[in-house]
Amino acid sequence: MSWDITGMGALACVGGTPAGIFDSLCAGRGGLGPLQVFDHEKYRARQAYEIHDRARPGVDEPGRATRWLLAAIDQALADAGHSEDLAEVPVLVGTTLQEQRSAELWWREGAPLEPDALHFGTALRERYGATRTYTFANACAATLYALAMGTDLIELGEADTVVVAGTDAIGESAFGTLDRVQNDVPEALRPFDRSHRGMLMGEGAVAVVLTREAAPGRRVHGRLRAVGMNCDAQHSTAPDPEGIARVLRETHRRAEIDPADIDLVLLHGSGTPKNDSTEAAVLSRMFPAPGGPLMTAIKSMTGHTLGGSGLLSLAMGALALQRGQVPPVLGLTDPIEEAAGLRLVREEAATAELGLAQIDAFGFGGINAAAILEAAR
Amino acid sequence: MSSAHSPAPARREAVVTGVGLAVPGLTLPDELLGTVREGGFDPRTGLLGRDLRHKDRASRLALRTAAPALRDAGLLGEDGSAGYTGNGDATAVVVSSNFGILDSVCSFADIIARDTVLGLAPMGLPQTSSNVIAGSVAMAHGLRGPSVTLCNGPTSGLDALYWARALLVAGRAETALVVGVEPDGEAVAKLLGAAAVDGAVALVVETAEHAAARGARVRATLSGCARGADLTAAVTAARAGGPGRTDGAEAPGPAVDLWLTDRPAGEESAPEDPPPVRAAAVLDPTASLGLCSGALGLLQAAAAVAHFDTHAAHTALATCGGPEDDAVAAVFLSGPARTA
Repeated sequence: MSWDITGMGALACVGGTPAGIFDSLCAGRGGLGPLQVFDHEKYRARQAYEIHDRARPGVDEPGRATRWLLAAIDQALADAGHSEDLAEVPVLVGTTLQEQRSAELWWREGAPLEPDALHFGTALRERYGATRTYTFANACAATLYALAMGTDLIELGEADTVVVAGTDAIGESAFGTLDRVQNDVPEALRPFDRSHRGMLMGEGAVAVVLTREAAPGRRVHGRLRAVGMNCDAQHSTAPDPEGIARVLRETHRRAEIDPADIDLVLLHGSGTPKNDSTEAAVLSRMFPAPGGPLMTAIKSMTGHTLGGSGLLSLAMGALALQRGQVPPVLGLTDPIEEAAGLRLVREEAATAELGLAQIDAFGFGGINAAAILEAAR
Repeated sequence: MSSAHSPAPARREAVVTGVGLAVPGLTLPDELLGTVREGGFDPRTGLLGRDLRHKDRASRLALRTAAPALRDAGLLGEDGSAGYTGNGDATAVVVSSNFGILDSVCSFADIIARDTVLGLAPMGLPQTSSNVIAGSVAMAHGLRGPSVTLCNGPTSGLDALYWARALLVAGRAETALVVGVEPDGEAVAKLLGAAAVDGAVALVVETAEHAAARGARVRATLSGCARGADLTAAVTAARAGGPGRTDGAEAPGPAVDLWLTDRPAGEESAPEDPPPVRAAAVLDPTASLGLCSGALGLLQAAAAVAHFDTHAAHTALATCGGPEDDAVAAVFLSGPARTA
């Protein structure tokens, strides 16, 4: 069983298209910068991986997450040669914060806000005539969850084609609470390096067009073999090695592959000491050294793009399989002990022939998801 | 929508086997239909307890409705709070809430402006993500299957039933605990211009074969679910089925015994001729409960289940959303004698 990815769109701090982002990642260009609109006096952490698109520098505006979502879907539809009429096409949107930033601007500064602007269906109806739209607030596993549910819709005969997308703009309450909770103030997001001090948020949106089987002659970015999802039911914010191992085993089973078949892993790699040690330990057991797949963690350059991060990793994975090129983990010089046996790409992009990629995404609420993507040749 | 490619898998029905309420003034679902009892849930006294400490209001309401629903379905051990007796790995949680964390988000922004981030309580971190509610419910009962949170506007509760059914018929889970919750609060009331229901509702939905295997009493069958551009489109699509429907299945509706709406009679939609639904009785739960938002579709379903408890051969339709919204959702339900 597989599904074809026929269109991709994305924007992030390091690029405005999937190819643009991938080129930045391979060149080791990150998008970290000083907080653009939040009052630095109020925070310990004063950097993030923001998109610089505000009309007036230093002045925030509502609706950015929705704007990026539409831009990413526009790109994906054009890339797939799909019409912009989505009246019959399900659109599944994964997000952590929805339009939370717009709600903050309404509450704090009196910016206009309608209740129906808090879910993305309103904008999707206006732009594409879409009515089979679903906003899933599934934390940082949201887009891989949405991808799994999109494959189910195709399997169940509910649709031949679905659009799966994600978007998040940084909000003060989420950024601030994370800042309050992290022991240290990260200078950057440094996954799996001993210098990792925690997570820093990033902004962006991503979309893919997923179909049962592409029309003959139509370019396919990658073949999705399986997406698994589960919940730890252990802790509201900390990862659980058993839940992660279970979702990976389930995903491999669904894809009918062994861990040894995997050539590349796009790690969740959020840069928190807890995530990095847990994820690395589970993967070290699953992929014993030496050998094992190449691994990378794009959040080292995009920041943690929250709900969209899993699907953004998947889009970058598709390009990696196509080009035989893997971006490095920026800033990784001294891996943590649990990651010592993992083939993390360092310093510069690696080149390799790649057939199968695994993508990890874990989120608050103990939710885990993973996908297996196969090169389309 | 039917696919030209894959034959649908063998038909798997999704059935309701338990209902729980935590709605101010109510005790049992038949009160949604007009039965009157003394007492009822009171958030001032009902949301206390060790197990609720440090939890956001939406999670607390959800927890107070999850346990009764599981107990109603015969899935909780004798002592009530301790043991979930189903298979936790195969149990999904699906939550619908549009404004569940809005007050937390707004108050955290206020605190940062006043006291910097150092004024924030570390325990608030989970409340910055809407899926805190699903996480709380999963942790309380050890539910380790897919955990899905819908924030999908006025149709969100019925959309949660659509996705619960999809998870079940796709084989992602054998049981789903579906929760709708909308807490009240200063920001919610300001945004909506009126108080929200400040309550929660939960349904246990499982595959018909799983319910039969464990001898559970079926209370209703989800016989059609869809989202569409308007009432006619949603009802038509729901009649055609929904996730996992086979072509040979008998279409539900358009005539039903009970139509659960979200607006006063005569305001269903733009006048349509012929009307897409014929109903012997019409009930709008918001007339007595006020703004229910993401909880509404599941309160409607709970009312349908209560109706079937005394009218086992009846059918019902629930609809949410109208011309002012991005879509309309429709869910057909049928009583246990209807589907036997």
